[in-house]
Amino acid sequence: MPYYEKSEDWLRESALLLQARPATVRSRRRPLLLASRPLTNTQTRVTTKYHLKPARRLTKEQKALAKQQVAAVPTKPPRGHLLLKTFDPQSGVALKYKTSKAAEVTRLVQMLGTLGRRMAALPEVAGAGQQHDEPMLDAEAAAAGSGTQTPVPTAASTPAAGTSGQGPQPGGGGKGRKKKGKR
Amino acid sequence: MDHLTHDEFFIKLAELFSSRKNKDHGKICLTQKRFSYGQDIPEPSAADHFPDLNVDGPLPVLVRASNGKSKPRRADKVKLSTVVEPSDLDAFYGRYAEVCKSGMLALKPRDRTKRKAKAKKKKGGAQQAAVAS
Repeated sequence: MPYYEKSEDWLRESALLLQARPATVRSRRRPLLLASRPLTNTQTRVTTKYHLKPARRLTKEQKALAKQQVAAVPTKPPRGHLLLKTFDPQSGVALKYKTSKAAEVTRLVQMLGTLGRRMAALPEVAGAGQQHDEPMLDAEAAAAGSGTQTPVPTAASTPAAGTSGQGPQPGGGGKGRKKKGKR
Repeated sequence: MDHLTHDEFFIKLAELFSSRKNKDHGKICLTQKRFSYGQDIPEPSAADHFPDLNVDGPLPVLVRASNGKSKPRRADKVKLSTVVEPSDLDAFYGRYAEVCKSGMLALKPRDRTKRKAKAKKKKGGAQQAAVAS
């Protein structure tokens, strides 16, 4: 099953899968292979796994070195990655996206939010799905808005907005310009 | 296990993330799906194969978190779950993003060295062009 290179592609395909199969409740036309399995847990689900891995295994020589001079070998911080998977247990479709960038986390959780809306059978946010850049901005604005409602994460959300905005420009204009520069 | 309220869920999720802080291994699983238990979605019939495609109103979403411990370490397993009502979705995901962002510390931070190198190159290139003209 495919890994998508872009998170937007993953979102689009996942949304389509959820649209087609929001909850695959008991179907009479179950494949024979699956007939013996219990029927629990049959909704299409989105799993996000956060993995931690040790930085790199030390070779024998390095280990020996580390034993001799305790503080001499520099220890690297552990590596983590994030794996997003949309899985429909009925058809066995699994759509995946993998990343190790911390900068993507907020955007990805917002994507989980849009998929959550699909799962809840709510109508889409206007304009979502037609253009790729627009809903992202909307979603981030929504995140900032919800952050101000809840007292605790406000402090954390404002510096995040500052770093993504890059300087004194208002967030929206800065974003667009930055993306153009990247492409 | 009973479902937690959103506040409890986020507090425990933050604890779960902080339990992996400064560790070099481990896993945290987050899952979400439609909460259709006890929602009166009819069984599929010959006339309607997919009754879940045309539900009357919005349904809640079930969000789960676990540390992925299984058989031999079952005793250490942490399982959290909460049900998000459709009206709370936006607020929930806003907080969810904050908790995830502050918890996932082992991911690579944004790499700024490349951009700096590019900026230098551009500056250098402009100067060279000026010299040439």
